[in-house]
Amino acid sequence: MSSQGATAVEARGLLKRYGVVVAVNGVSFRVDRGEIFGFLGANGAGKTTTLRMLCGLVRPTQGQALIDGFDIFAKPMEAKARLGYLDEEPFVHPHLTGPEFIDYVADLYRMPRGRERQQRMDRLLELFELSSRSAELIGTYSHGMRQKIGLASLLIREPSVLLLDEPTNGLDPRSARLVKDLLEELASRGTAVLLSTHILEVAQALCRRIAIMDHGVIVATGTMDELRAKAGSAQATLEDLFLRLTAGPESKALIDQLLS
Amino acid sequence: MNGATVALIVRIELRAWRNRLVKDRSSRLAMLAAFLVLGAIVIGGTFFGLADGASQFLPYLREPMLVGAFSALSILMLVVGFPTVIANFFVGTDLMQLVLAPVRPIEIFIGRALLAARANLLLGFVTAMFVLGTGAGAGAPPLFYLIAFAFVVLQVLMVTALQTLLLCLVLQWVPARLARDVSVAVASISGALIYVAWQLTLRQTLGRRPNVSGLVEFARRIDWLPTAWPGHALSSVLDGAVITSLLWLSLTLLLAVVLIGAAAYFYSRTLLTGLGQFAGTSALWRRRAGKPRRVASEGTESPDVAIARKDWITYRRDVRRLSRLLPAVIFMFGYAVFFNRPAGGAIGSFWNNMFLIAFVSMFISMAVATSAVPSERRGFQLLRMAPITMTQLLRAKVLFSMLPIVGLVAAISVGVAILGRNNPADVLQLTVMALWLGFGFVAIGVSVGAIDPRFDALDDRRMVGPLGTLVGVGAELGFGALTLLAFTVVHVAIQVYAGHPVFGDVTIPVGVGIALVAGALILAAAGVAVVFVLLRIAASKLEGFEASIAST
Repeated sequence: MSSQGATAVEARGLLKRYGVVVAVNGVSFRVDRGEIFGFLGANGAGKTTTLRMLCGLVRPTQGQALIDGFDIFAKPMEAKARLGYLDEEPFVHPHLTGPEFIDYVADLYRMPRGRERQQRMDRLLELFELSSRSAELIGTYSHGMRQKIGLASLLIREPSVLLLDEPTNGLDPRSARLVKDLLEELASRGTAVLLSTHILEVAQALCRRIAIMDHGVIVATGTMDELRAKAGSAQATLEDLFLRLTAGPESKALIDQLLS
Repeated sequence: MNGATVALIVRIELRAWRNRLVKDRSSRLAMLAAFLVLGAIVIGGTFFGLADGASQFLPYLREPMLVGAFSALSILMLVVGFPTVIANFFVGTDLMQLVLAPVRPIEIFIGRALLAARANLLLGFVTAMFVLGTGAGAGAPPLFYLIAFAFVVLQVLMVTALQTLLLCLVLQWVPARLARDVSVAVASISGALIYVAWQLTLRQTLGRRPNVSGLVEFARRIDWLPTAWPGHALSSVLDGAVITSLLWLSLTLLLAVVLIGAAAYFYSRTLLTGLGQFAGTSALWRRRAGKPRRVASEGTESPDVAIARKDWITYRRDVRRLSRLLPAVIFMFGYAVFFNRPAGGAIGSFWNNMFLIAFVSMFISMAVATSAVPSERRGFQLLRMAPITMTQLLRAKVLFSMLPIVGLVAAISVGVAILGRNNPADVLQLTVMALWLGFGFVAIGVSVGAIDPRFDALDDRRMVGPLGTLVGVGAELGFGALTLLAFTVVHVAIQVYAGHPVFGDVTIPVGVGIALVAGALILAAAGVAVVFVLLRIAASKLEGFEASIAST
């Protein structure tokens, strides 16, 4: 156990097999405190399965997932108390109002009740522009609003590690900007953020280091400069690097063939 | 109308159905087929044999049997079939695709009606076997079997059309968000009431022989109902009354044409409205906009209390779950009245009430407690990520379910005990038993919901898979039998201790009485062990749960 160490998240040779299909094959990486770590990959590359192994929803066939030095399966209580995970479709209860849901999650994590908690909840609802919808049930919210209430339910308890699967999915530009600013601020205060996204501009702008997954394995990890060096192209954008590292059939040729 | 389009809709759905059954092993289909054939032989053979025997030896029962079979099919379809009809006619991304494609609503209606009939295969099969058995017992001509089979198929289509028609009408009159739940509630409650009324009419009580004159009487009373017409038509075929059979046959066919035609017409007009209203994932009460409650400033931050509080809030706001609880409660009270008749012969009033309490607590716990864990749906993943153990979750669920269920069962027990003119000591015993059984059955109910949960099921009745249901029925019967046996042994021991003769005139030594009490304690402990073993298995299953999150 090393709760004082710099590493907040560590994947050690994570492997997940479903029958004969290997969804994730020996994935290893570390995320430090105060770092936003980008996690990229094509659809079906194994990103979500990796995130779910890290947060304890899916048990790895092999390997270890450590949160603040605690193995999520060997020491689940300690690891889970430090962790916040937001799924691409947030796990919410449609028959609760926003404040009721945040309150429920706070209780599950044994966050002390009282004025301080109430004030924090009020501030979060205001920040995500949900105060005016406080009396309404989550079932009536739009996808973006559900995403925001999911984020608010994470932030009410200040976890030291955030695992976010497409957090800006469905958000309007203003809210997406808010989330980006918030993540930067949280990271500057020491929170480790593992961010899975398809929006490469967001990853390039926010993340200090990036891992690119393809067919269940990590094909590259590093800062933008390190990735450029690996790809042998000093001027390449993240999109160029991503396409080069996850090379599929040449799309131009396929499009020409289809339209000819 | 294009027949090829209808065929395509049906073919694609059947292919999807087959893929779901086969999953990744084609041997699954062979196993399922073998299981189905075996089940068909056992279930079909039983109903065929019963009907054949009754028809041979009690010829005056033939018409009531035929009328009863078709009426029962209709009633059961009305009670349980509405969610299927909604799912087939108004919900689904595949349906959205059909609406977007150049397909006529009438083609969608016919395709979907045939698919909806698939859900009633078991009911239809049992009815068909019963009707064919009635014919076989009466030495019916070959034409009877042909007409009988066609009538069963037609009846299924007619009831489906009637349900679709009702849904279309509900769509016109009821506020959008409540349309689905209002139709389910109306159908379930009317079905439950008809069924309970039927049971009361039959007057078949525990400890008495079935009184078939009740069935004859009931059949006479429902003569005018269209559900009885196919029964009359077939009965006339058996009697060789050609004109009468043709008359009933024509009436049935006319009704089928009217019903199916009207349903197709109204469906074409309301399909788009229905898609918008029924396709929603949750039914919500309309809430008055107001100042939100200050929720976080007081109370305790215990996860157990938080789960119970959340369950309470969501249950009372979930119209769909409430609407399905109502028929269960009607059934329960119906049965309470049905069983609670002055018993004669060997079974005294006290024991009659004891069986009633056992039945009621088992029934209500199966209806309510089994859905406690699966009703978390996607929220279950939230619990798995939280720093709580699954034992804690089960404890919260058992405590939350136990309070209302045990309270209700205890109230019913005291009521029937007083109405049954039991003395205060008996009332006390019945109340203690109600609490004991209620706790055990609730714990078993919650456990089976955790052992085989279906988090993606929208209907409470389908939230537990077949394995869980089997385990649940077995455990409840085991726990109930062990408890009642222990209780009986204690009663025998008391008789022995008091020096009263127990079996006839035989007086048993007091030492045996003490051994009997020890035996009763062992039996009761075995009952408790059943409950705790099940809770342990449930906790371990939940800890290792790893089904697709997308499906929750």
